[in-house]
Amino acid sequence: MSGLIHLLNSHGLTEDTIIKATFYGIAGLTVLFAFFVVIARNIFHSALSLAVVLIGVACAYLYLDTEFLATVQVLVYVGAIMTLFIFTIMLTADVHKKMSLKINPRVLLSAYAAALILIILIKIINAGPWLPEVKDAVPLDLAQLGRSLMTNYGLPFEVISLLSLAALVGAIVIGKTEKK
Amino acid sequence: MFTLLNLTNMITTGIAVLGFIAISAMFLIWWERKVSAHIQTRLGPMRVGWHGILQSVADAIKLLLKEDIRPAGADKLVWWLAPFFVVVPSVMAFATIPFGKTLIPKDLNIGVLYILAVSSVCVLGVFMAGWGSNNKYSLLGGIRAAAQIISYEVPLILSMITVVMYANTLSMQKIVESQSHSWNILHPNLALAGLIYITSATAEVNRAPFDIPEAESELVAGFHTEYSGMKFAMFFIGEYTNLFIISAIATTLFFGGWKGPLLPGVIWFLIKTYSIIYILMWIRWTFPRLRVDQLMGFAWKFLTPISFLNLAIAGWLLL
Repeated sequence: MSGLIHLLNSHGLTEDTIIKATFYGIAGLTVLFAFFVVIARNIFHSALSLAVVLIGVACAYLYLDTEFLATVQVLVYVGAIMTLFIFTIMLTADVHKKMSLKINPRVLLSAYAAALILIILIKIINAGPWLPEVKDAVPLDLAQLGRSLMTNYGLPFEVISLLSLAALVGAIVIGKTEKK
Repeated sequence: MFTLLNLTNMITTGIAVLGFIAISAMFLIWWERKVSAHIQTRLGPMRVGWHGILQSVADAIKLLLKEDIRPAGADKLVWWLAPFFVVVPSVMAFATIPFGKTLIPKDLNIGVLYILAVSSVCVLGVFMAGWGSNNKYSLLGGIRAAAQIISYEVPLILSMITVVMYANTLSMQKIVESQSHSWNILHPNLALAGLIYITSATAEVNRAPFDIPEAESELVAGFHTEYSGMKFAMFFIGEYTNLFIISAIATTLFFGGWKGPLLPGVIWFLIKTYSIIYILMWIRWTFPRLRVDQLMGFAWKFLTPISFLNLAIAGWLLL
């Protein structure tokens, strides 16, 4: 064991370098799976790739020392939203058919919209400093987070829940079958 | 810099957790067979070792040697990855389970949330198994498991939040500390939360009376119908590890964790956890299976409103 430790330390391999090295691997995988979400020929594969992407984003939060955000990301997106996605996919007919790459008939229009978004994103990213000065991460005080959600950010919080409620009611209205 | 201490710590913790999972799962499988047998006035496994105690070891060797059969129309990668998605999250969940005062892999300050988040990934594995097998029984099992887990996750989380509100912390170790004087289960508000937790946790791990995802009489074996050999064994290990985890969480949240007189903490923790597992086995072999609609109705029309009410009462009492 001590030989291994000596070897690791003598090559300058500290925990910090390992954290950096794994970051690029995970970030690369996240982007790769994001690509799979779009190009997968099968909708179930797309959904699974999306789940991997969301886990990858949670890992990115971990690298930023925000464990709480990472946990909530996995709990809400992978645990709840992806489960619902996949559940819905399983209920659709012909899920086992190998679907071919769907070419959208409005492919030009979509490309135009995508290009516009890209330009906007580039403008926004260029507006601020690239790689801003990183301050040492402050450990997140959960009590304070909860308090500010209930006081300072009370109104946006409630508006979001109202929005979810509206979506819920909408889903029920769409899903309701007329009795005849 | 790496130091000898943290590297050895990491490695020994990992090995200890993996070893514990393997032994605990094999023991639980044997125990479940014995309990079910005695409830049905049978003897259960008797031939391998004393009262068949080595039966699980023999089964494990058999499963290791079995041929790994893949159904013809299976979605190769999805089918191959599914068992890992079931086992790995349950191994990760061990990171914040307090076995004793210092016997906890890592006492995260968001421990409860961490366990919930990690174990919620398991359902992806169930989906993948159900869908990748290219078998209608597997697919139906997967759909049922999904519906059930989504539904019962709501009362499960709400009942855990009630405990968190009383303990004022999300760390597992501090929740244990908050029960120094009396167990949470003795508090009327939290006793109800405990009951809701045990009920919905039973549903989360697909055990009878909530075992419609693997209802043998309807679905052969549900999502793992097509699996054989070691992959099947991995689903089994995952299932029994999850059973241990939900009981360990129940011990920590409601039964005072590792606290107890005379005996060392880890012994108390194991006694309490395995007692809860015994009760869950007892329930499994006593009650009949619910229908799908009864199961859903029970979650949404009974458990969820009651746990919201309980949460509201807890909030009112605490203010």
